Amino acid sequence: MIIIMRAGATKRQIATVVARIEKDGFSAHPSEGAERTIIGVIGDDRPVERRTYDVLDGVEKTVAVLKPFKLVSRDFQHEDTTVNVNGVTFGASSISIIGGPCSVEDRAQLLESAHAVKAAGAQALRGGAFKPRSSPYSFQGLGEQGLQLLAEAREQTGLPVVTEVMTPEQLPLVTRYADVLQIGARNMQNYELLKAVGRGSHAVLLKRGLMATVEELLMSAEYILAQGNRRVILCERGIRTFEKYTRNTTDINAVPVLKSLTHLPVLLDPSHGVGKWDFVTAVARAGIAAGADGLIVEVHPRPAEALSDGDQSLLPERFAKLVQQVHAIAATIGRE
Amino acid sequence: MVIVMRAGASPKEIDAVENRVKEDGFGTHLVQGTERTIVCVLGDGRPVDQRKYDVMSGVEKTTRILKPFKLTSRSMSAGDSTLQLNGTTVGEEPVVIMAGPCSVESRTQLLETAHAVKEAGAQVLRGGAFKPRTSPYSFQGLGEKGLQIMAEAREQTGLPVVTEVMASEQVPLVMKYADVLQVGARNMQNYELLRTVGRSRHPVLLKRGLMSTIEELLMSAEYILAEGNRRVLLCERGIRTFEKYTRNTTDINAIPVLKDLTHLPVILDPSHGVGKWAYVAAVARAGVAAGADGLLVEVHNDPGHALSDGAQSLKPERFAALVKQVRTVAASVGRS
Repeated sequence: MIIIMRAGATKRQIATVVARIEKDGFSAHPSEGAERTIIGVIGDDRPVERRTYDVLDGVEKTVAVLKPFKLVSRDFQHEDTTVNVNGVTFGASSISIIGGPCSVEDRAQLLESAHAVKAAGAQALRGGAFKPRSSPYSFQGLGEQGLQLLAEAREQTGLPVVTEVMTPEQLPLVTRYADVLQIGARNMQNYELLKAVGRGSHAVLLKRGLMATVEELLMSAEYILAQGNRRVILCERGIRTFEKYTRNTTDINAVPVLKSLTHLPVLLDPSHGVGKWDFVTAVARAGIAAGADGLIVEVHPRPAEALSDGDQSLLPERFAKLVQQVHAIAATIGRE
Repeated sequence: MVIVMRAGASPKEIDAVENRVKEDGFGTHLVQGTERTIVCVLGDGRPVDQRKYDVMSGVEKTTRILKPFKLTSRSMSAGDSTLQLNGTTVGEEPVVIMAGPCSVESRTQLLETAHAVKEAGAQVLRGGAFKPRTSPYSFQGLGEKGLQIMAEAREQTGLPVVTEVMASEQVPLVMKYADVLQVGARNMQNYELLRTVGRSRHPVLLKRGLMSTIEELLMSAEYILAEGNRRVLLCERGIRTFEKYTRNTTDINAIPVLKDLTHLPVILDPSHGVGKWAYVAAVARAGVAAGADGLLVEVHNDPGHALSDGAQSLKPERFAALVKQVRTVAASVGRS
């Protein structure tokens, strides 16, 4: 950490800061410039509580030097983490595509979708049984019945199932049915939920929050790893910006940035990222070209009748084209 | 346009709105719901001034139906517009790569970089002689001397040159030297400048403003086309968001959205979009995968000593690797 003193900070104020640093067990390295003094804080790997210094007299600001995340960092583990789920490997050289409806609506809709996405070349099935909807009056999901349908779809297709868990209390139930526990964007900083999935050994798909920075996403992943569960997959799904023509703004920068900062697999959700089905394929191609390890895509047999996210859901035949196109892109950057 | 009346608007208020619409020469169609009345305005394509109606008593809001841009709209043109630049065409199947330093710093720097980008496969040379810098104390560009050096580089390499013009008064001078006039992000809504370059009939590269929506970008292009200049090229270059790890957030959604809304060619500037050289190639690949007609990339022969944008400038050999990668991605989406 670096502490920048105000212009005109007194010698006494500087001495107080230095004394505090030493008392905390770190060593202080002041350097006096023409206008102001800065103090380097040298320590071991222990985190320094910046705020205790921010409040001292004469301090203008403190600047972190080390990254605040450890276990998720590439500095901690250089090699890519791969997450195996029933024979599907996320983070390997071949890209993985998860397809399926936003919500499980009924048995026919889910089974039809599941067979269609499998035929199109998806490796895993998505579908929500517990739905975090903006409006309390919107369809909230089928709950356990939805989970049972997902399990049936897995049995019929062999595709592992990704589904959302919204609270720690739901975890034992969802874990019984799901292969991958999804933590949705709105729960990215639900720390009790993060700790709860961290204590288990189930694979977790952690989506970036609508207003969360890349660093905050990594800190949330750190919560899960810190509890012992290292089977975490990250997902960029668009952030909120002033642009309102699209539902969200796909932060394509986040894909190569995350791949350089962390060893965890990184997926892109182009469906939420852009929010209109006719642009989903272009954004999916961009994600793979930027280095994403896979995609999670909303597919519905009849989008116009969907109970949620119909606007951004692809018809199965359009999804099949998307899969072909992204595999062609993957091949150009040395992936499958 | 649709005018939504407040719940409980009186018949007198509704009448007044209807009469006003008719006075303005439009037809009306009334929809009476259980809670409120909606007045549909039936026009002939002429723009309607929403604000006149917004202020009327009993009106809750007005909603525009037609897009506010006309000449830039895809519906106004049979196919894609293309732009000819000394033998290079932007907007056709080949992806056009424009590259060069942020600023023209010296004759040696520019000529060295120009030859390097040409050898790596760029078709257009970029370089700024008039520089819009955040700080008035930063290097402001070489002015006319920089333009002369650009012209010399064009003579030596045969590459057409794109360079920024910051004010209407500079247009005659910059036109003497430049093949493409760049209107930078900070000037996207400098309407006098837009009109002047519109009257010039010179090709224009219009960059999206840091805080501008896609629609605002298209309205700025409309200014240029409305003056009779149809030789306009649009450029996404990243927008400002809460994410501070990267310089800007590349709005990758904007590429397919713009290609859908307008017939004008669309290029991506990955250098400003992400702002760190290590991520530029990944974002460039994403842009071409998403359907961009070209790229604008900052390249410097010695980024460590660049007078501007060193952090996001590629060394010539890294740029050469980018060009190769981008060409294979282009091939996989049916381009070259």
